[in-house]
Amino acid sequence: MLLSALLILPLLGVLVPLWAHQYGRTRCAWATAAAPALALLILFLNLPGIADGQVLASRATWIPALGLEWHVRLDGLAWLFALLILGIGLLVILYARYYLSEKDSMARFYSYLMLFMLAMLGVVLSGNLIQLWMFWELTSISSFLLISFWWHKSEARRGARMALTITGAGGLFLLAGFLMLGQVVGSYDLDQVLAQGDLIREHAWYPAILICVLLGAFTKSAQFPFHFWLPHAMAAPTPVSAYLHSATMVKAGIFLLARMYPALAGTELWFVIVSSVGMATLLVGGYFALYKHDLKGLLAYSTVSHLGLITLLLGLDTQLAAIAAVFHIINHATFKASLFMAAGIIDHECGTRDMRYLNGLWRYMPHTAALAMVAAAAMAGVPLLNGFLSKEMFFAETLQQELLGGLSWLIPALATLAGVFSVAYSARFIHDVFFNGEPIGLDRTPHEPPRYMKIPVEILVALCLLVGILPSFTVDGLLRMASGAVLATELPTYNLSIWHGFNFPLLMSVIALIGGITLYSQRKRLFLFHSRFERFDASETFERQMQKFLAWAVSLQAKVDNQSFQRYLFALLSLALLMAATPLLDLYHLEGGRELHPLDGVSLMGFVLLAVGSVATVIWHQQRLVSLLMLSVVGLVVSVAFARFSAPDLALTQLAVEVVTVILLMLALFFLPQKSHPDSSPSRLVRDLGLAAVFGGIIGSISYALMTRPLDSISHFFLENSKSGGGGTNAVNVILVDFRGFDTLGEITVLGIAALGIYKLLLRLRLYMPASDGEGRAWAVERHPRMLATLSQSLLPLALLVSVYIFLRGHNLPGGGFIAGLVTAVAMILQYVAHGVDWLQPRLQHLKYQRMIAWGVLISTMTGMASWLFDRPFLTSWFDYLHWPLVGKFEIASAIAFDLGVYLTVVGATLLILANLGKMTTVARPQRQAEE
Amino acid sequence: MHFEVHLPFWLEALVAFFLLLGAVFAFIGSIGLARLPDFYSRLHAPTKATTLGVGGMLIASMLHFSYAQGSLSVHEILVAIFLLISAPITAYMLSKVALHHQSPSVQNTQGQDLPQQLQQEWHRERIKSKTDKPKLPG
Repeated sequence: MLLSALLILPLLGVLVPLWAHQYGRTRCAWATAAAPALALLILFLNLPGIADGQVLASRATWIPALGLEWHVRLDGLAWLFALLILGIGLLVILYARYYLSEKDSMARFYSYLMLFMLAMLGVVLSGNLIQLWMFWELTSISSFLLISFWWHKSEARRGARMALTITGAGGLFLLAGFLMLGQVVGSYDLDQVLAQGDLIREHAWYPAILICVLLGAFTKSAQFPFHFWLPHAMAAPTPVSAYLHSATMVKAGIFLLARMYPALAGTELWFVIVSSVGMATLLVGGYFALYKHDLKGLLAYSTVSHLGLITLLLGLDTQLAAIAAVFHIINHATFKASLFMAAGIIDHECGTRDMRYLNGLWRYMPHTAALAMVAAAAMAGVPLLNGFLSKEMFFAETLQQELLGGLSWLIPALATLAGVFSVAYSARFIHDVFFNGEPIGLDRTPHEPPRYMKIPVEILVALCLLVGILPSFTVDGLLRMASGAVLATELPTYNLSIWHGFNFPLLMSVIALIGGITLYSQRKRLFLFHSRFERFDASETFERQMQKFLAWAVSLQAKVDNQSFQRYLFALLSLALLMAATPLLDLYHLEGGRELHPLDGVSLMGFVLLAVGSVATVIWHQQRLVSLLMLSVVGLVVSVAFARFSAPDLALTQLAVEVVTVILLMLALFFLPQKSHPDSSPSRLVRDLGLAAVFGGIIGSISYALMTRPLDSISHFFLENSKSGGGGTNAVNVILVDFRGFDTLGEITVLGIAALGIYKLLLRLRLYMPASDGEGRAWAVERHPRMLATLSQSLLPLALLVSVYIFLRGHNLPGGGFIAGLVTAVAMILQYVAHGVDWLQPRLQHLKYQRMIAWGVLISTMTGMASWLFDRPFLTSWFDYLHWPLVGKFEIASAIAFDLGVYLTVVGATLLILANLGKMTTVARPQRQAEE
Repeated sequence: MHFEVHLPFWLEALVAFFLLLGAVFAFIGSIGLARLPDFYSRLHAPTKATTLGVGGMLIASMLHFSYAQGSLSVHEILVAIFLLISAPITAYMLSKVALHHQSPSVQNTQGQDLPQQLQQEWHRERIKSKTDKPKLPG
């Protein structure tokens, strides 16, 4: 449980800033920091067990049938990452307090940040592959929100879209890979997957699994050729860059490689792909970092390069290389996060990040400059700093490789070249920004930032120094713990000391340092050379490709969907025809054996009316009012038919629905042209008539076949159990609110959504009141006749009484929430018709139909959930009989609360649609609220 | 609910009488709706005669079910109230629309000059409401 708290705390933390921001910015920052600080405490409480090599786990069943499980799993590697996420997260919260300007919404920023923290912790702590994947996608989404935090800038939106597209696509590959892994191993449980490494590696699907998982990891960690999204994600606020794009999220891919190391690594394929991609990324990132004039651009490419280095280490396939990889993860997180924060401070104080204008800042902000220089030196791999140690280990490992045979010398040579780049861009960061003359064209005089803005940087830089000088006292234990989890075997011996004597790695370091400084001193020629290449902007290319893709999708959609209602209907009916007619072909006899009822006069009359009404609707379809009247004849006959065949509930409902529908159509007709278009072309007429005739024939045949066969359906069950199981004698209502209550809940939700959707559509609609009716007559002078108004007003209480009556008796006699809701709605609409909106609006201003819908769905859902309190499944209903004095035996059923929800939703939805459509040409028309 | 109750003869006769009375009125109303010459006179048939017809049936129903259930059946009173409210109002609204539309009438229909008068009155009111509109300042 304590482990699950590691995830629950940040989840609660998402809400904290939204509440705390009203108490001021500093308090908001403190309140936000509370959850991660507590989580960090819990993490340290678990340290002793983890240090002993244990794997702590907390499990809960989720969907066991699908192999899904809530599994929080903490081992050394997860512990290390959780420490980075929470520790740097806390520093970033403090830093962002001073970084964000007054205009930026702090609550929104912190909320997104906590969401991201939750996602990231979820990734590292998941013990189930699918759960891991879920959090993986959540990191993509939250990072999208964070990159686009300044959504008014187009570069931020573009960068966010690009990051989401690339990492999201990678996430889908990852899911595919995980699903295959689950199939191969037979479980999504991480422990089992990690234990079955040999089985996975020998399986025929191994290459596919590996490639899918690697695609997920490489896109997330910005590996070549997917590296281009990371520099564009720098449009994010700098705290985000420091947190997501250097310390944590981009490490998620690396984390995945390390996590899957026992299961997937150790084959030729792994070595070839991972090491070559890592090497390419290392060189490409390092090379391009050199030419970036933007401070954050330089850091972004250097991050790409360092991520490549870690990937390369994981691909080198020796155990020591994996340890070096873990070590570099720690070191890179500390120095790169502090560098980003320093860059943010410089941007904050100077108003620009362009290194062509930033010069000589040493004089203006010596403290920040000192911090940034130490961190940059760590990035370059200068001795006595942490970057030096992991880089030494990296160089040493490249020397051990014999996998390229005679060409194995290439690996250390290229590694040294990458070291040269790294030193060169670090030198540029230090020299160009803090020395090299005076700043050019700044609109302000730079000065030191607020005291607390520097504290996070100071802490991180102090860590760089501590680790660099006293590695075995500081980082050794952590490294052992995490590496042990990666390798899942006994660790080989290694030595973390600073001085290993004169050897090849040291020589490579010296070459890198001297070479890098030489390269930087020749930068003018280099820049000239680089500028001769054709300019390539990944963002624009990506955007162009996306636009092309979008245009293609739109044109494809336009081909399928030409917005013609007739065409939709034709397609729908044809499909239904096909599906319905096929089984009929297999039917031997259309007529079943059942005896037919004798035909009586009343039924015959009903049939004739129905047929006449239907045909008349079609014949007069051009006169819309007449055809509407004919349509209502059909509806009326149908409801009478329901009443005749002992379905009073349906009859009542049908009647009420009929009334509402006719009013709705009348309203629509008011705005529509009075006459419809001339007839369709003869060929189309024949086609449509043919389809209609065939469809009618098929439906008729099906009905005939069904009704002439003996009925044996589930309905007997409902009839027999409605009293004993649901406590009501009206089986229809008991089915609605009890037996199939879940259906009803879904239906009212759909009804509510539909009503809200129509409301939203009406917001956009501009309708004008026709100046006259179809024949050119002006509208009547008396808009709301006194007699109608007065009487309809007196009718309202009566109608409400009726609906209460229908509602209450619904459980045992025909009625219920649905019908009662419709009756109330009709009575209310009558008020609108009789009095007009101007009269009604002030009297109904407290009645918000949207809220009514929300309450309705909420009450029904809560009624359903209340059964959980009694350890029963969702929507179990409860009823009992009470003996009241005077009233006598009285039934109480929880279903009535459910029915109340139905009632409210129906009233709210019907009125939201009808009242707002009726209001379209008045001052009370629905309007969009002003943007915030 | 069981509807098959044996009523005493006198009650059965009474129920039958009211049913028939109602049916006759409804029938007359229907004939009127079909046969009367213009809209204004035709309006009387369904709203007056048929309402009476339904009233007769309601009395019959009330007698029958009061006896069958052993207690006074009040549904019918409610139905009658709704009917007595809605039928005249419907007639009133329909006739207003007919006058507005200047629906033609036959010679024998009374109040031949009413449409004319109303049109003039409405015209005056339209002009009045137009001139009554608040003028823009300045």
